[in-house]
Amino acid sequence: MEASDLNEHISRRFNKDIEDLRNNVLVMGGLVESQLSQAIAAIVSGDSELGLQVARDDYKVNDLEVTIDEECSRILATRAPTAGDLRLIVAIIKTITDLERIGDEAEKIGFLASKLAAMDRPADSYRELKTLGSHVAHMLRDAMNAFARLDVEEALETVREDERVDDEYEAIARQCITFMMEDPRSIKRVMNVTWVARSLERIGDHAKNICEYVIYMVHGRDVRHTLYSDDTGQDSG
Amino acid sequence: MSESARKFVVGMILFLSAGAVVGWLYDEVVMGLLVAALIALAWQASRLLSFERALRTGNFEQFRVGEGIWEQIFSRFRFERERAVRRKKNYRMLLREIRKSTNAMPDGAVILDANNEIIACNRAAKELAGLKRKKDRGQRVDNILRDPELIRLLQSGDHKSTIEMMSPVRDGEWLDCRVVPYGGDQKLLLLRDVTERIRLSKMRRDFVANASHELRSPLTVINGYLDSLIDDESIPATWQKPVAQMRRQAARMRQILSEMLELSRLESAGAVKSDEPVDVPELLESCRQAFEGHSKVANVTIDAQSTAELRANKAEIETVIVNLLSNAIRYTPEDGEITMTWRSDGEGADLIVADTGEGIDPEYIPRLTERFFRVDKSRGRDDGGIGLGLAIVKHVLARHDAELVVTSESGHGSEFRCRFPAERVVVEPPVPLAGGA
Repeated sequence: MEASDLNEHISRRFNKDIEDLRNNVLVMGGLVESQLSQAIAAIVSGDSELGLQVARDDYKVNDLEVTIDEECSRILATRAPTAGDLRLIVAIIKTITDLERIGDEAEKIGFLASKLAAMDRPADSYRELKTLGSHVAHMLRDAMNAFARLDVEEALETVREDERVDDEYEAIARQCITFMMEDPRSIKRVMNVTWVARSLERIGDHAKNICEYVIYMVHGRDVRHTLYSDDTGQDSG
Repeated sequence: MSESARKFVVGMILFLSAGAVVGWLYDEVVMGLLVAALIALAWQASRLLSFERALRTGNFEQFRVGEGIWEQIFSRFRFERERAVRRKKNYRMLLREIRKSTNAMPDGAVILDANNEIIACNRAAKELAGLKRKKDRGQRVDNILRDPELIRLLQSGDHKSTIEMMSPVRDGEWLDCRVVPYGGDQKLLLLRDVTERIRLSKMRRDFVANASHELRSPLTVINGYLDSLIDDESIPATWQKPVAQMRRQAARMRQILSEMLELSRLESAGAVKSDEPVDVPELLESCRQAFEGHSKVANVTIDAQSTAELRANKAEIETVIVNLLSNAIRYTPEDGEITMTWRSDGEGADLIVADTGEGIDPEYIPRLTERFFRVDKSRGRDDGGIGLGLAIVKHVLARHDAELVVTSESGHGSEFRCRFPAERVVVEPPVPLAGGA
């Protein structure tokens, strides 16, 4: 009788631990999302102060990563989770790495924004970066939503979205090369634009990774480096 | 006891008595009673069984008419059931109406339990914030709406303030969020689309900033020529006075523009970055000296009750003091008193500018910090005020996490108190070692 009470108690505490962990990952996701959207806003509005602010705030993301990482190790060591719980922990450990990288890229974009703000601004005020940025921000948001809802459909859709982001990046890169050939004086500025686009494209890749971890978490199936056909969403058992 | 129940009891007694009488005829009273009781029991049992069957099959044909106890039970049963059905239908209709009206609401509403888990949400919440009605039930709302500001609002338990966050669904749209407690420990998260308001206020800010900026260059030219005209001996005497007046007014315009630019700069900048410890009493003294020597100035005294320093942007705090002091001087007669106080306690520090001037009507106090607001439209134009001073004060204080408290009594003077939070106050400034230079 007493033993079963104790068991119940332990598993309830365990549930709470896991739930807290998941919430923390989503808090970190929210922070990273807001960092990204502010970095993009800094580029578009030419606000160097905002850009530097983003760069300064990256430490918050890093701190969260360390906290969550420690918590994961603690749960692994003390609870020895199995099956779904284990997959969740493994997925979380990978997810926070990707989130932290996204934070780094956002920091980079913020820093570049402050540099770009000091240079001449093109007439379209970086519309192509704004488009790519909002595309990537949507991807990241959908990835975190898929993580929160354990929604494989949404995750798969987001994974497919990455191809379009890659295409957009290609287009921007080509455009940048044209600019540089036309006017060598603009090379310094356009190089920075290329770096921003590159960072955004990387963020898209990280978001895609997070979606793959979601699929792994739900189905226990590793879909990395495979071609995505429509039957991927079905559980193979 | 109802009619049918009485009939039932009487019938039962009569039947049993008849059994007893028949038994008595045969000299077996007990046997007769027993047989009658058994017959009655068998008959009632068969009715009971057929009632149960009727309940099961829904065929109440044999109970529909008649006066017996079973028919009465049936009619009572049918009555209650129909009433329940009717009531249920009413509730369902009411519920549907409520559902319809909450769905028609333009503002999003999400019902949360004590752990911020979603219980229900309306259609607007779905559209504004991308919540999914079925899938997100039981999910914590801050797992879906992950804006750091919103998370802070939910955790703070603050039911008064609102925050603005970007719509997670539609780009460039803004939502105003607010948490309202209701029921036991449930909460209502209200979301409102404020894109238009934000766009308008941004437009206004941009307009003010651009207009002031654009007006400044022509004004500089005018000012320059007027400055040289005033020194020109050759202009006719009749023009000397108009030129002097033009110069005064042009200078005033320049001042208005620079204050408007200052205000828009304060508005667009975030929180103060450069924090230096500011010696407030010293700043008060230097501001007082700046006004010394002006004619018709009331007596200004400084009451430094604290040596605490303020972590702030010195230039901005100076602007605050100058604005408050010049206001006080403007509205205080020559024989009045102006006191500037600096004091601190455990929870923060106060910078107070009090005067014995004409005071402010209480109904105007909430509007004092509006731009270009004037208590008395007829005055103030000629004495140099333009109505931006307190707006600037308010913005500077907001940037320093401080607030402005105005108390005033008409005819007896006013008090402007700037309340700084404890985080901004350095209680013990580093004291030089005794014996040091």
